[in-house]
Amino acid sequence: MKELKKEDVVEQLATGQMSRRQFNQSLMALGATMVMMPMGSRSAFAGSDDHPTVFTWEGWDVPELHQPYLAKHGESPNMAIFGDEEEAFAKMRAGFKVDLTQPCTYKVPIWKDAGILEPIDTSRLSTWDDIIPSLKTIPGTYEGNNQYFFPTDWGLTSVLYRADLAPEYVDNESWGLLWDPKYKGRLSMADSLIDGVMVAAIYIGAKDPFNMTDDEMAKTRAALKEQLPLMRYYWTSPADIEQALASGELVATSAWNSSYAALKKEGLDVRYTSPKEGAMTWVCGFCLMSDHDPAKLDRIYDYLDAYASVESGVFALTEYGYGHGNIHAFAKVEQDSPGLLKELGYSVDVNETLNAGIFQAPMGNEPALQAMFEEVKAGM
Amino acid sequence: MPGGASPSGIMLLAHDDLAVYKARRYKDLSFMSRSATSSPGFGLRLRRRFLASEALRGFSLLSPTLLAMVFGLAMPLLVLFTLSFWLQDYVDFIKTFSWKNYADFFDKPIYGMILFKSIKISGMVTLATVLLAYPMAYFIAFRIKTNKLVWLILITVPFWTSYLLRVFAWKLMLGYNGVVNSGLKSIGLISEPLEFLLYNPTAVTITLAHAWAAFAILPIYVSLEKIDRSLLEAARDLGENAFMTFVRVTLPLSLPGVIAASLLVFIPTVGDYVTPSLVGGPSGIMIGNIIQSMFGKAFNWPLGAAISVMVMFTITAMVCAFLWGTHQFRRRVA
Repeated sequence: MKELKKEDVVEQLATGQMSRRQFNQSLMALGATMVMMPMGSRSAFAGSDDHPTVFTWEGWDVPELHQPYLAKHGESPNMAIFGDEEEAFAKMRAGFKVDLTQPCTYKVPIWKDAGILEPIDTSRLSTWDDIIPSLKTIPGTYEGNNQYFFPTDWGLTSVLYRADLAPEYVDNESWGLLWDPKYKGRLSMADSLIDGVMVAAIYIGAKDPFNMTDDEMAKTRAALKEQLPLMRYYWTSPADIEQALASGELVATSAWNSSYAALKKEGLDVRYTSPKEGAMTWVCGFCLMSDHDPAKLDRIYDYLDAYASVESGVFALTEYGYGHGNIHAFAKVEQDSPGLLKELGYSVDVNETLNAGIFQAPMGNEPALQAMFEEVKAGM
Repeated sequence: MPGGASPSGIMLLAHDDLAVYKARRYKDLSFMSRSATSSPGFGLRLRRRFLASEALRGFSLLSPTLLAMVFGLAMPLLVLFTLSFWLQDYVDFIKTFSWKNYADFFDKPIYGMILFKSIKISGMVTLATVLLAYPMAYFIAFRIKTNKLVWLILITVPFWTSYLLRVFAWKLMLGYNGVVNSGLKSIGLISEPLEFLLYNPTAVTITLAHAWAAFAILPIYVSLEKIDRSLLEAARDLGENAFMTFVRVTLPLSLPGVIAASLLVFIPTVGDYVTPSLVGGPSGIMIGNIIQSMFGKAFNWPLGAAISVMVMFTITAMVCAFLWGTHQFRRRVA
């Protein structure tokens, strides 16, 4: 068979000399080459099949939070990101298979009831004894001896505000700042039941915000309605409020520790309050999914141990300002940079900080709360 | 053969295959002709039948698209429709027939109200888009003589970026420290940034009108381009002025494009939820946000399905009314 040179092919094509058979042969050769090509480099993709898939929040997927795993296995596990747990739940119910997820405590009972969780074998975790004891016994996260939740992260939901723009609140910190008509159009709150509606419930003084009476529900609704015209928007991403607080578009908002840490680093005069009504404490951690790949169990537990290691904890505390499940991480931060813990809003005795807040719990009658929140947001 | 061992090997293989294929085909033909002389085989009868029926050939030509439509559109719709008659019970569905979701839709004023608001916003968007797109399409169709393609491509240039990016661009324009506010501030018209620019229904309308502009310009352009120029000359010769020529000749003849543009913009924007959630604020939410919340946060898929079905019915009814209205208009004017 005659060998075709590139120049010849182009010339023949241009002058219309190439026969159909020749052209088809070239195409066939090209097609066959394309089919063969990935075979050579397939080994490059082999690694990802061996690692578990972790479904988590953005920011908690970074390699700095699982260095020991990286050191042992050379690669990070497969990471998938969700915006919130409801999105994650919807995706998994639609058939997305993952090995580990990282929800917060208030979602564990409903996930367990949906049959997608499997108990974690804590005897396979070398870090289990380093975890802050009060985090292991949060109602709904275990059942008898079955532990469905490995607590690794915690933090606060509280008011973050610009002290230079609202100086009168410096010695009078309260959730009421988010209801102050003086700052109309420059306030914000999380677009969520747990970080939004529950704030209103705490503000009106509900006895148990997570299981409200009808009377308290009505009061919460009234408080949210009162607040609506004051809102710039309900935020869905911490980046929104960080930019808005930095520019002065917002004066105060509900926020997580990470926003405070980020803005403090920028040198802004922001304060993260301890409201007199009490801040909220949230706890997140890992759940083992019931359709995990059993062949990857060793690596799954390696990942959990890596995430709960002291070095991960130091990173979470110093970079994000979030609390960590490993109690030794706090001592390490205090030892390496004295005073930093206090600046981030933590007591040196971790339990003191934990006990000061109101632990987030599963919400009773969630559908009714959601319907109520939607109606309030629609101006009703 | 220097340096070309493997491609030529493949080509040789291909050549061999071709020979085998030819031999087989020859055999087939001989088989067929033999059987045709006695009684026609089943395969042959099928083939004759197929070639004789135009409808069958038409359907087979359509079949890839048809299959895609059935699996991609009709089946999900059927699932949605079925789902809307079920009920959500915590994490499970109650799979018995019930009208409750539809009753909820009519009982609770929130859904109707937000649907009405969405239609209002989309109506404004459609109006703004078509009014802005028409002159642009008119300009290209009638005033540009050479390189029309370049102009059309130029119009689509802003749409080479992602939809999200364009929404964020408007956030930058209208934002607290955005282009509009800092511009007004620097020329001394305002001292404090205007807060009413962003996070309200107007911001949603502006953003959507910009994001969907290309979908309006192109159909209008095509219908304007198709107009027979001699008709316009005739109208002028018969004594109509330029404005009346436009109203009585150009506009009615370009109506198909206007209708297509209006539908292309109106239908998708009613259900949009990305734009309102980014620039809408609490007062700018639309029905798409409610449906999204039903399938996400509120976790009530059947109610979400029922709302979706109701939105579809409403839009269908509105589109029918719109088509009827334009039909009447055309009859009266032309």
